Parts: sequence; structure tokens; C-alpha cells
Amino acid sequence: MGSFRKILINEYTHNKINLRNISVTTRQCREVDDRKEMYRSLPTMDEGTAGEKAADIDALINQKGDVFPDADTPNRLFKGVAFKELPVFNIRVTPNNTILCLTDAKGSPQLIRSCGSPQLIRSCGIEGFKNTKKGTNIAAQATAISVGIRALEKGVKTVRVRVRGLGPGRMSAIKGLQMSGLDIVSITDSTRVSWNPPRPRKARKL
Amino acid sequence: MRHPSFIARTILVQNNDVEAACRILNRILGREGILEQFRRTRFYEKPYQFRRRINFEKCKAIYNEDMDRRIQFILKKNRKEPFPGCT
Repeated sequence: MGSFRKILINEYTHNKINLRNISVTTRQCREVDDRKEMYRSLPTMDEGTAGEKAADIDALINQKGDVFPDADTPNRLFKGVAFKELPVFNIRVTPNNTILCLTDAKGSPQLIRSCGSPQLIRSCGIEGFKNTKKGTNIAAQATAISVGIRALEKGVKTVRVRVRGLGPGRMSAIKGLQMSGLDIVSITDSTRVSWNPPRPRKARKL
Repeated sequence: MRHPSFIARTILVQNNDVEAACRILNRILGREGILEQFRRTRFYEKPYQFRRRINFEKCKAIYNEDMDRRIQFILKKNRKEPFPGCT
């Protein structure tokens, strides 16, 4: 809390006294003596969930019903291919890494026998980002662009995207795929959520 | 199948606008409490934390209910007495 002071300045101008009030607030110098306090003061991590709490999207959702798939969607044609036959880009997002894998409609990885890699699976770690740099949205975007270009070279143009997990790369990986020139038909979330999960690991001590 | 893949939790991209589709998806996941549950179950919630959370949620629900009722009362139109308590 900054202290609040008032300075009165007297101005003498030709036998007239003008009183002016000037309020001055001291700069908020935050003394971080507690580690928890410090973590709280840090900016929250980007989890790729933009718009999660935006209430203005609700009206948008109600307006256009055609963004949601229905019973006919699997057989709907996108660039001459049925929706259910389209190849799938699986994106696994964690706070520390982003992994992209291209599979066909059945879920088996598409085989690429070039460059010594058996399949089109790339992570930020493979792409050259090391340690904490792996878990950034820039790394995810760069990886997505390079993997998207490789997919285009293979002849895959129209894809579905399936995202799993929360992390900085969640949105930027999808954006990177689009920037590489791929045509994204749909975005699916397959984050594994259970309402009666087995006991998770113990909480981190901060 | 109760939740067929690529039907459940799926948004079709309109006009190549990926970001808008992402936002809609995130909004729906957030509204349904899926993201909240995911974040909560990443680490074990100790019984005292569970108790505290449940109590807090109860209090919040009661407060919200009452506040909604008040707001609806104030917003009500065509009242016989337009300014209650101001006679």
C-alpha cells in the first residue's frame, strides 16, 4: 500500500494566495519476502485456453450452429474426401513440450521413410529447442510450421486436428499448422479428463 | 459409443478462421468445467483442501443465487410500485 500525501503549495502572486492540492502516491514498492507471494506475483502461464472465460463468445456460439458437427458430418466431403477419411494431426501439449504427429484416419502413423525418421512425428525437443525453451508457444509454432511443410511435401493438404492437454503450445501449434499452408477442417479436444481418477501424484511444493 | 471421436468436443473451422474455432472450443470446455477438472486432478487434492473448496463453493452458490434474485428484482418491469422503499 502506498502512502497518501498531500502537498499544499502556496503561490504568492500579487497579494493573492492560491492554494492548490496536489496528491502524490508513492510508487508501490512490493517487498517480496515470501516465496509463495513471489509465485503469486508472477504472470500466470499461458495454457492455450484463450477465450475460456470470455462471456461474449456465448452469443456467438448460439448464433452459428454450423460450427458443431452432426450425424452427417463424418460423410461430408471436404475437398473431395469424406470427413472420416481425412488424416489427423495429433498434438500432444504439456507445459514443457509440444509433440505433433500426423496419422491417417485410422490412427496409425503415416510412414515417411526419409531422413531416417520412421514417421511424421516431431516435438519441440527434436526441432532444436532445448530445456525450458521447449515449453514455449514460439517453439510450438516453429515446430508446427516445419511439420506442416513436411506434411504438405507428403501430399497431405486437408487435415483434422486433435489436441490433447494444456500448455503454451496449445493454440500456437494449431496456428503454426495453418501458417504452414495446411487446410484445417476441424479442431477436436481429446484432453483426458476423469471425474473419478486414480489418485494423482502429490501436489508440488512451491 | 457415448462420445464418438471427432463428433464430441469438436468444432468445425469456418472460413479458415482457426483462432475463432479455438476460442469457441475453449469457451465450451471452460463452461462445462472440463478444463477446471483437468487442472484440479493433475495433483492430489488433500482432504482439507477438498473440504475448504466444497465449503467455499457452497457459500459462493448461495451468494450468487441471492444476488441473482436481487438483480432480477431490480430489473423487473411493470411493477405496481416502481420505486419500492422510496415512498
